[in-house]
Amino acid sequence: MSTETARPTAADAPATGRAAGRARVHWSLPTVLARVAVGLLLLLYAAISLYPFLWMVSAAFKDRLEVVAGGNLIPHRPTLQTLAETWSELHFFDYFLNSLKVTGLTVLLVLVIYSAAGYAFSVLRFPGRKTLYRLFMVLLFVPGVTVLLPVVLLENKLGLLGSHWGLILPFVNGSAPLSILMMTNAFDVIPGELREAARVDGAGELRIFTTIYLPLSRPVLVTIAVLTAIPTWNEYLLTRVSLNNPGTFTLPIALQNLQSGAVQHYNVLMAGALIVVIPVIILFVAAQRYFVNGLMGAVKA
Amino acid sequence: MAVPTIAKGPSPTRRAPSRGRTRYRPSEVAWGAAFVAPAVILFAVMGAYTIAYGFSLSFAKWNGFTPNWRWVGLQNYADLLWADPRYAPRVRTAAVNTLWVMIAVPILTVLVSFPLAVLLNSVRRLKTVLRSVYFLPQVTSGIAVYFAWMYVLQPDGAVNLLLRSLGLGSLQQPQGFLGNPSTALPTLIVITVWSSVPVSMMLYLAGLQAVDPTLVEAARVDGAGSWHIIRHIIWPLLRPITAIIVLLALRDSLQGFQTFLVMTNGGPGDHTNVLGLETYRLAFLSLLGPTLGLSSALGWMLFVAAVILAAVNLRVMRRVT
Repeated sequence: MSTETARPTAADAPATGRAAGRARVHWSLPTVLARVAVGLLLLLYAAISLYPFLWMVSAAFKDRLEVVAGGNLIPHRPTLQTLAETWSELHFFDYFLNSLKVTGLTVLLVLVIYSAAGYAFSVLRFPGRKTLYRLFMVLLFVPGVTVLLPVVLLENKLGLLGSHWGLILPFVNGSAPLSILMMTNAFDVIPGELREAARVDGAGELRIFTTIYLPLSRPVLVTIAVLTAIPTWNEYLLTRVSLNNPGTFTLPIALQNLQSGAVQHYNVLMAGALIVVIPVIILFVAAQRYFVNGLMGAVKA
Repeated sequence: MAVPTIAKGPSPTRRAPSRGRTRYRPSEVAWGAAFVAPAVILFAVMGAYTIAYGFSLSFAKWNGFTPNWRWVGLQNYADLLWADPRYAPRVRTAAVNTLWVMIAVPILTVLVSFPLAVLLNSVRRLKTVLRSVYFLPQVTSGIAVYFAWMYVLQPDGAVNLLLRSLGLGSLQQPQGFLGNPSTALPTLIVITVWSSVPVSMMLYLAGLQAVDPTLVEAARVDGAGSWHIIRHIIWPLLRPITAIIVLLALRDSLQGFQTFLVMTNGGPGDHTNVLGLETYRLAFLSLLGPTLGLSSALGWMLFVAAVILAAVNLRVMRRVT
């Protein structure tokens, strides 16, 4: 992965250097102590990273009496009842489907619209290309909260407010700068000879785009999908001010409503939180290889 | 922007390496327009229109219901900065709080994520597992995790229990960490850092793997210790990444407020009110008051501040190590 960017002299050095380093490890007392210290520090931060999740899981499996009593991380009488009730009786399954719909459509549109735009910015030559590209990049600096109000007012006028499309369209547009940036960078490193060769063989732009450029950029597409899906899944600010009908609620709003209810039961609240968090964790674990490499590639570019 | 039908097939005038700087192939122009059209149309509606609308609204008074705006010129900006005793002091408090967040979050993020990345890069075993664990706060960042934090930070929550069992009972917060005016803001800062460390650590890790190992090897041969190598070789080499991390953290501290909205809603009192939250409140939570223009004005001041910050940040980081 790193050899593509390394110079020829450096390219073969890591292997030999690392091998030599491994051979020279002395198991002297200071080295051992240093290694143990490093290990402990790393584990400590792992504990810090996991801290609220452990308690979230713990509370979700406690019953109402035990969660009030607080105390132990490990529940005495672990129960699935809280989760089951939250999932069915509190309609979290319906909210889950709503969230899935909004997130899925947003990701799909982002991938289609901005991979096409990235292809145009990277490969095609047309007047205004650079100006347009810079315009999208400036958007990175426009605070979300600044345009939130106009978006709500506009959607009110268009009759989109309160519908799922009223969320999806602004979410898609909001991810424009980063997606275009990453797609354009990914297409930039694909050698132009491939396209020229395909043209000679009679392929049109659409064909070149879908059969050469898109398949070659799969890691970036996955990265963009994950980077779009996660904030969309968790989105709360626009959703909160635009959705009114409980039938359209997404998970974050449902969770918010649990909290603002008259009586707060932390076991129910944490069960709801767990339902919100678990799909994201599954998605991250599944796409992690692409995701990490994609992020790292973005730094090098 | 009309897209004519395009004859497919190889262009007769193919000039592979030397693309003319001013001459365009008509078919490519058409395809270019077609490929960017969806992005541009969506931007025109959801982006350009709303930005222009919001910008003009910042020069008017409006409560969202009356048919007409009342144009007031720069009055909204003046009201927020000094003129109106109902808004200016609140904005000032929020600005001071935001400033604290903007100072503390980037520094703490770098102080935690850089050593963490260096340590993680030095081990072989468990590297990928730990990396995923460290990434959890980032991927789950949102209302669910904020609620989990509220749960552990409440008066009889896990953090107080932990402090008691560690013999640090004097650090316990009987009102909860978010209920005490003097601990609420630092607590929110810590949580913000907690959720911004993962990406920063990942960026550093990527940078570390791109560092030429022969440099490190050469320094070691010359007798440099680990600390020396980190301080005088690795840290300077990763300076561009530090610049990106600081910029991202500054931007998020300036504009982000979701943690604040969910966990304290600015309270207790106005002790955790920040500028982003104030903008949100003026827009959506002041019911019938004519504060929509004020909200827009505050939002645009945040935008200007973000652009200035980005420019200053890039310039400063270029000079300082």
